[in-house]
Amino acid sequence: MRNIWLISKRELASFFFSPIAYVILAAWSVILGFFYSGSFVNYSLISMQLMRNPRAAAQYNLTPTSAILGPVFSSISVVLLFIIPLLTMRLFSEEKKQGTMELLLTFPLRDGEILIGKYLAALMMYLIMIAGTFVYPLILSVFVSVEWGVVGAGYLGIFLMGSAFLSVGLFCSSLTSNQIVAAVIAFMVLLGSFILDFVAVSASPAIATLLRHISIGIHLRSFIQGIIDTRDVIFLVNVNILCLFLAMRSLEYYRWRG
Amino acid sequence: MIQVEALTKYYGNIQGIQNISFQVNKGEILGFLGPNGAGKSTTMRILTGYMPPTSGKAFVGGFDVSEKPLEAQKCIGYLPENNPLYPEMTVKAYLDFVASMKGMRGVNKNLDIDRVVGGCGLGSVVSRIIGHLSKGFRQRVGLAQALINDPPVLILDEPTSGLDPAQIIEIRELIRSLKGNHTIILSTHILPEVNAICDRVVIIHQGRVKEEGSIDDLTAQIQGGEVIRVSAIGALDLLEKSLAGVPRVRSVKVQDTSANGEVRFEVLSDEGEDVRPDLALAVTSAGGRLTELVQERIPLEKIFVDIVGADHWSEKEGVDA
Repeated sequence: MRNIWLISKRELASFFFSPIAYVILAAWSVILGFFYSGSFVNYSLISMQLMRNPRAAAQYNLTPTSAILGPVFSSISVVLLFIIPLLTMRLFSEEKKQGTMELLLTFPLRDGEILIGKYLAALMMYLIMIAGTFVYPLILSVFVSVEWGVVGAGYLGIFLMGSAFLSVGLFCSSLTSNQIVAAVIAFMVLLGSFILDFVAVSASPAIATLLRHISIGIHLRSFIQGIIDTRDVIFLVNVNILCLFLAMRSLEYYRWRG
Repeated sequence: MIQVEALTKYYGNIQGIQNISFQVNKGEILGFLGPNGAGKSTTMRILTGYMPPTSGKAFVGGFDVSEKPLEAQKCIGYLPENNPLYPEMTVKAYLDFVASMKGMRGVNKNLDIDRVVGGCGLGSVVSRIIGHLSKGFRQRVGLAQALINDPPVLILDEPTSGLDPAQIIEIRELIRSLKGNHTIILSTHILPEVNAICDRVVIIHQGRVKEEGSIDDLTAQIQGGEVIRVSAIGALDLLEKSLAGVPRVRSVKVQDTSANGEVRFEVLSDEGEDVRPDLALAVTSAGGRLTELVQERIPLEKIFVDIVGADHWSEKEGVDA
């Protein structure tokens, strides 16, 4: 446990020693701020128009929490597609390039400790990013009564989806000593799994069902509606487990190849 | 302390090392010699548990590095060929990280960091960022990292590369001062370094052990006799005849003659008894005046080239690992 913490601590510190953490945090806040304000303004315009037309309003479900924060959560999942590969690309690639991999692998450490340490460091960095977005529901709570249960479910979904993305990125980084290559592979894998949903439209019914199940983006939908569906939770947790397992194998392969 | 038995490593189809065996006793400094790509680093990487061998066994401190890597790694301080530094960290933070990873904590850790910082002459740069240091300082940080927690076994892959002559001497002194309490394997292709610090050498070439033994043994083996350089002022033919007449002298070669009448000879004699007094006598009896009489040692360079083969240098370099 102590070793895992030491690896995480150094990893997290190096995010902040280099400009990466600041650039990512800045880009993240600007982009999401943009989405949030857009969503907010949009909601107030629609609700003003519908005030003049109560009969039409009855057809819409305009609870402010899901109408404003729902689109924000969805856009977070898209922004993550771009940002997570940038966050994870250096985890192993940089160590390999710098030669510090040789140091880590000759410390009295298990490979699993290195892997989990790095994964947790990325997860902590991600939690810092998510924590920043908490101002949005807080601002909202000034104007309306926020349904905190829905917000909580949304955050759980975002957290689980982000962690799945991170583990994909971690695995990709363990494959190569080139950070750009690691980022591109991670991005392609994430984007690919994201658009399986669209591919499913033109597939035969049986395959379409399968594609929808393994499409990563779909698993956020019920969280956004305030529903914690165990199928989604298990799916996202399994992506984590699978990728960490693959990364572990990849480390072993790296050792054998030397 | 270190035992290597029939170690073999293949990189795919390319052979890294083949059937390497040797052992290093406690307190010994072993020089690991060989041209680039001979398999020095491969052997060291297997010893440190960085990569597993294809076959064979390696023991460090009594632990099999494949079976019990963590126990073996706890006894090892390792300086890889590519110095493993985190450029964004300060020297202090880096050493702190390494010490923590090696299981140290609290006051002990801080004392040990101070010890290696002092030993490696890093006092003036302790709070600087590693990326801003000169190559010499970086190399010393790498060495300091290996020395942390005072491991009984040190594996140093070209520890003096990139240093200036003064620093090389400092590092050599440092390594020599570790002798006795530490078992050290040191790879290098700087031959004087081996002469200066190592008790024994293992020469490997194309993945195989070519020669193993103390430097004196190797010298004697190749030389097959003693070489003595004699210079004297006098008549060339008289001197030559007289020198050749000395018992146990096998051959006398004239090397050159200088303008002031000095003649230089290279005399090859049987091993064993010193023939120098007799040679001096021979010179005087031939009417010559002796100016120089030196027993030559064959330099390690020659041994190395003899073993590895002079043609080696024209070969294409293999996998540098």
